[in-house]
Amino acid sequence: MVSAPAPTEVNNSTRAEETGNPWSEILSALRAELGEGIYERWFSTLGLKHLDAKTITLSVPNSIYQVWIESNYAAQFQAALLTALGGKRKLKFVVENAPPAPAVEPVEAADQEDADLPDPRPDGRGLNPRYVFDHFVVGTNSEFAHAASLAVAKAPSRTYNPLFIHGGVGLGKTHLLHAIGHHIAKSKRGAKVAYVRSETFTNDFIQAIQTNSLVKFRKRYRQADVLLIDDIQFLAGKERSQEEFFHTFNSLFEGRKQIVLSSDQPPSEISQLEQRLVSRFEWGLTAELQPPDMETRLAILRKKADSLQVSLPAHILEYLAHRIKSNVRRLEGALLRVASFASLSGRPLSDESIEHLLRDILQEEARRAVSIDLVQRKVAEHYDVRLADMTSKRRPANIAFPRQVAMFISRRLTKSSLQDIGEAFGGKDHGTVIHACKTVQNRMDKEESLRQIVRFLEAALQR
Amino acid sequence: MKFTISQEAFADGLANAVSAVNPRSTLPILSNVLLQASGDTLTLTATDLDFTVRTTVQASTGKQGSTTLPAKRLSTLVKDLPKTEIDVEVDAKSVATLRSGAGVYKIFGLAEAEFPGLPAFDGAVEFKLKSSDLKDALRKTHYAISLDETRYVLNGIFFSFKGDKLTLVATDGRRLALAEVNDLEIPKSQEREFIVRTKAIQELMRALKDDGDVIVRLAQNMVQFDCGPTTLISKLVEGNYPNYVQVIPTKVNERVTIEREALLNAVRRVSLLNSEKTASVRLSFGKGNLDITCNTPEVGEAREALAIPYKGKEISVAFNPEFLMAPLRYLSEDEVHIELIDDISPGVIKINAPFVYVLMPMRVGGA
Repeated sequence: MVSAPAPTEVNNSTRAEETGNPWSEILSALRAELGEGIYERWFSTLGLKHLDAKTITLSVPNSIYQVWIESNYAAQFQAALLTALGGKRKLKFVVENAPPAPAVEPVEAADQEDADLPDPRPDGRGLNPRYVFDHFVVGTNSEFAHAASLAVAKAPSRTYNPLFIHGGVGLGKTHLLHAIGHHIAKSKRGAKVAYVRSETFTNDFIQAIQTNSLVKFRKRYRQADVLLIDDIQFLAGKERSQEEFFHTFNSLFEGRKQIVLSSDQPPSEISQLEQRLVSRFEWGLTAELQPPDMETRLAILRKKADSLQVSLPAHILEYLAHRIKSNVRRLEGALLRVASFASLSGRPLSDESIEHLLRDILQEEARRAVSIDLVQRKVAEHYDVRLADMTSKRRPANIAFPRQVAMFISRRLTKSSLQDIGEAFGGKDHGTVIHACKTVQNRMDKEESLRQIVRFLEAALQR
Repeated sequence: MKFTISQEAFADGLANAVSAVNPRSTLPILSNVLLQASGDTLTLTATDLDFTVRTTVQASTGKQGSTTLPAKRLSTLVKDLPKTEIDVEVDAKSVATLRSGAGVYKIFGLAEAEFPGLPAFDGAVEFKLKSSDLKDALRKTHYAISLDETRYVLNGIFFSFKGDKLTLVATDGRRLALAEVNDLEIPKSQEREFIVRTKAIQELMRALKDDGDVIVRLAQNMVQFDCGPTTLISKLVEGNYPNYVQVIPTKVNERVTIEREALLNAVRRVSLLNSEKTASVRLSFGKGNLDITCNTPEVGEAREALAIPYKGKEISVAFNPEFLMAPLRYLSEDEVHIELIDDISPGVIKINAPFVYVLMPMRVGGA
């Protein structure tokens, strides 16, 4: 386990002797700050692995360097960074020549530990190794959910319990859930991480009833230190499962174990879910994942391209990011298809060839494009007014306001001009549409309920 | 099942066993203690699945058998009973009746069958050493264990059975304590290194007696300490302990021998003038004299001088007083040797026995 610290070969380009590069400047600043003795002992064998605007990653011969530098020389290191680079960085370490690190497969390790338990099934099995925080691209759409997940992973059951992540299909709910599981399994040895889809939970429950082994079932789920349940909306309508889950939830919550749930809707909107569960889900923190914006989509594509080790011209990535908006999974699928086409055919890609290649995906995307007609129908349905009222000239408040909401949403979700919108609403002029938008916006600023309605309608239209 | 036991023996045994019970356990059976009566002994076992305590006390069995009872409640009750004999009887429905003097107590238990079995240590690697030696080495190192849960490998003591000795190491990144137990016979094939977690260390220190031997058994990811009447089984901390050798200074410039208690007392008194936020005492070594000082804005300042046989160059270094006092408290030797390099390098405390304590200086002033 412990052997003599073999001085590790450090990549030449990062050696201290070279002048002019930032690493040697950092080192000389450290040498001045700490003196020769300490410098020689702790810093002379370090290598620079990675340096960017936010983080600096150092390679160390063994983990004691990390422990000691973090505990004792972190402030001096930051001071040296300030001198050499003009700013601070987040400090990270990699151990070079490490013996096969047990941390690589924390999930399997956790499984073995419980060989004497009745059924070690929930222990982290089924976590996708690629779904870790490092692979998650954070944009404004997912910032909050990501930060909350990270907080939970770092201090389970202390900060937000339960954590409820919701968002549309393919936006990263499962990714975050897995990442929490991985992080906890890795940082807290022996922590029992249970990840299940709510469907598995239901099936297990049914089986337990059939085979009369409810005690075993309860043991299995109530022993977890961290319970991650994916797609909780599938519990809707399953009353006995809900009741069982309610008790599991309570027992874990009282034992101060972390619970993380994901769903495609916020708790209050899952139909046929018992009120007591809804209120418990809303007890902790609810974080929403939204569809990524253009920049984030581009970042996701770049990251994915990196991990697939394919290089595509920038304009292709931009084209994909521009055309596929709704769903990260589809975005990645499109990228994969384009990349494999490029490598198989060997021909340079043009926008037309991509268009042809991705026609089904693009069609699907286009179908999602919201039309004014659709908006009118949805809004009319929600407010329970006739569709004809949307285009009529009648102006009682119970008709006029829904019409204004519909115009407002049309303005936000369709590409139509003010004129076109006015036209579609029974030949109103563009001033009427502007007025409608302003009115709705003003009322939304003041009324929570209206904000919710608009959000709900927009989500329903984009789904 | 039926047995008679003295209140003291029962209370002691329960106190030992209860330490393994996790009050927040989600499985009801794990809140219970397993009682097994047979012959003239009562065996008590409690576990949280990661850590198990099994202890044996004197009792006279009327009818042998076993059951499980709520550990915390039973322990609290027995502790409060008068110091006489207690009669315990358990019926087939796991209801226990305790009779002590004029009192009768009925406690509902759970069937023994639900209680998890103990891990087997058949064919495990085995080390035998003097109980007092291990206890002493643990005392000398345990206070340096890291409490930082993010560095889980440091949440325990590193055991290295290698060559002819057992080396124990604990560190939290600011200090490191190392102690050795020498003169062991360890065949090459049985050399082992592992990390025992903090909770097990605490209970082990309580369970180890001052005489007799302790047997350490190692199987897979579990360790067992057999200390006579009490046996502890604990899951090991997984992972590799960092190579601590790097931390211990190889070349020191000055060395001085100081009376342990005098130093401890002086540091303790001086550090009373620290505020909670900034705890530090400065040791200034000069010819024949050690000045221990502390200066806290808005609180006050303190200075004590200690005559010491110091002949080296002047060195002034600041330490965290708690970290400085910890080894001084747990050592029993009259004198300690302090080794120094310069004002900003770690200080080292040694004794005339295999023990090393490395303490990083505080960053006072400067960066």
